[in-house]
Amino acid sequence: MSSTSEIREQSVAANVNSVNVNTRPAASWSLRTRQALAVMRLEIKKNFLSRRAFLLYLIAGLPLVLLSLLALFPPPTDELGTFGEMSMVYAAIYGGLILRTLIFFGCAWVFMNLFRGEVVDRSLHYYFLAPVRREVLVVGKYLSGLLATIVLFSITTVGSMFIYYFWLFPSESARFFFDGAGTSQMLAYLGVTILACIGYGAVFLLVGLFFRNPIIPAGLLYGWEWINFLLPPFLKKISVIHYLHSLVPVPMSEGPFAVLVEPTPAWISVPSLLLFTGVVLFLASRHIRRMEISYAGD
Amino acid sequence: MAVYEHLYGAYEGDSHSAWSRFLVIPRYALREVFKSKLLVTIFILCFIYPLVATILVYLHHNANALALLQINVRELLPIDASFFLTFVQVQCAFAFILTVLVAPPLISRDLSNNALPLYLCRPLSRAEYVLGKMAVVMFLLSLVTWIPGLLIFFFQASLAGLAWLWANLWMIQAIFSSSMVWIILLALLSLAVSSFLKWRVVASGALLGMFFVPTAFGEIVNNLFLTRWGHLISLWATIKSIWRGLFGLFERQTGSIRGKVTNPIYDEQFFDIALLEPPLWVSWLVIAGICAVCVWLLARKVRAYEVIK
Repeated sequence: MSSTSEIREQSVAANVNSVNVNTRPAASWSLRTRQALAVMRLEIKKNFLSRRAFLLYLIAGLPLVLLSLLALFPPPTDELGTFGEMSMVYAAIYGGLILRTLIFFGCAWVFMNLFRGEVVDRSLHYYFLAPVRREVLVVGKYLSGLLATIVLFSITTVGSMFIYYFWLFPSESARFFFDGAGTSQMLAYLGVTILACIGYGAVFLLVGLFFRNPIIPAGLLYGWEWINFLLPPFLKKISVIHYLHSLVPVPMSEGPFAVLVEPTPAWISVPSLLLFTGVVLFLASRHIRRMEISYAGD
Repeated sequence: MAVYEHLYGAYEGDSHSAWSRFLVIPRYALREVFKSKLLVTIFILCFIYPLVATILVYLHHNANALALLQINVRELLPIDASFFLTFVQVQCAFAFILTVLVAPPLISRDLSNNALPLYLCRPLSRAEYVLGKMAVVMFLLSLVTWIPGLLIFFFQASLAGLAWLWANLWMIQAIFSSSMVWIILLALLSLAVSSFLKWRVVASGALLGMFFVPTAFGEIVNNLFLTRWGHLISLWATIKSIWRGLFGLFERQTGSIRGKVTNPIYDEQFFDIALLEPPLWVSWLVIAGICAVCVWLLARKVRAYEVIK
């Protein structure tokens, strides 16, 4: 009996010590950083290796398959087969397929599942029972989703560009990338991809936290992003795609019905998206502090 | 009360005839479905376009109303096959939204809560269980697609007279068949996804993704390869071809591109590339293939027990 009570006293003392340590601001920040990284590590495994990740790989792999097919079976005309047209064609593929559809749905899948996935798996309470501040949990999970989407969609962006250029015109492409505008274009596309993951990720994290059935807001958001070219200038700015389009290195025509607006300069677009992400994460953190788990109905 | 203290007696109520047993499932499921305020709202919104179409039909035959609104009858949409094709397209798009909301939890909830043995230990076969679940979707979608479509058709016939009815009698079959093909496809697809993914939210997301991602992918394929065969990847484009076929408005050539080839011997050569839609039988084959895969998935997943490794 005495040994059990000793152990209990020791553990209580240890807890008191750890609490004392945690209250010091510097140590508290380092502890929170370590906790966020620990959550991130756990979540990264889920994002990359779970069964749900299969769909993400499928989405991210689509452009690579498509452009490999294009390289193997090029169309019989010059319109798409000349090097001069390649930047325009890639811009259309990037804007129409990769950015608007694949990154959008990929981010929706990953970020909405960060919390909704835990609810449907009935495992969120394990996180909530751990001695981790819920804000730290939000940051850790967001960073893990961000890492997964950035890695996969960066590979998609760069890989599809390389396949498209180098397979069809190896020597011209080598000059374009090493002596011409190719590298800067590639980096710009990569930057847009990363910003898209940051922006859409934050939106879908919030949607996953606030809505029990996030499909309806996701569908509405998709519609809103698609009709962005029809919107008046003020409403255009209430979307992620407007800022991303402003940063794309090869601008595309949005059709005869588009309402033309001056693209937002990069020094406004990038900080705006980052600020927006910060606000969304703050809101998510505020929401999760009051969150009560109800597994019923999911 | 503890379970062992319960007394079990034989069922003494009315017994259902064997063929109608599956209807018990939609009876309870529909009660659940209409408890959702959101779904009731969307369900009501589904009737806005039929209302507009009915007003259009009415205006065509009411000279007083036309004079009052100062509209020439020639300015109104003609009430013909393309009018009803547009009706089917709009209503089937609403039907898809309803399916995304209603269908995913139908099987996934039973599977994730291990409730399937409770159904299948009763005199209900696996096929009847699936049929019952399909009936929920089919009943709801019928209410917003072919039923209002046929009502508008008969409304137009009553105003335009017997001659119009005889000349357009074939359209009854077109409205019904085009809606039913879509309804059966959606019902099978959504139930297969629901049984495969088990989680309602994930199943809804997958259903939405299966609709939008292939559509964008198909369009890019069409534009890159200068073809229209990319439409076969997109469910919406494939079904639209079938609908056009059923309404007699299908045309294989939907455009052409003036191509240019630079040849070292002949310099520049110009030629026209006809953009041909896939033949109708290929579209039917694709839809039949998707349905067959869905049935196979349902047969695999809907079991009273499963071995978990």
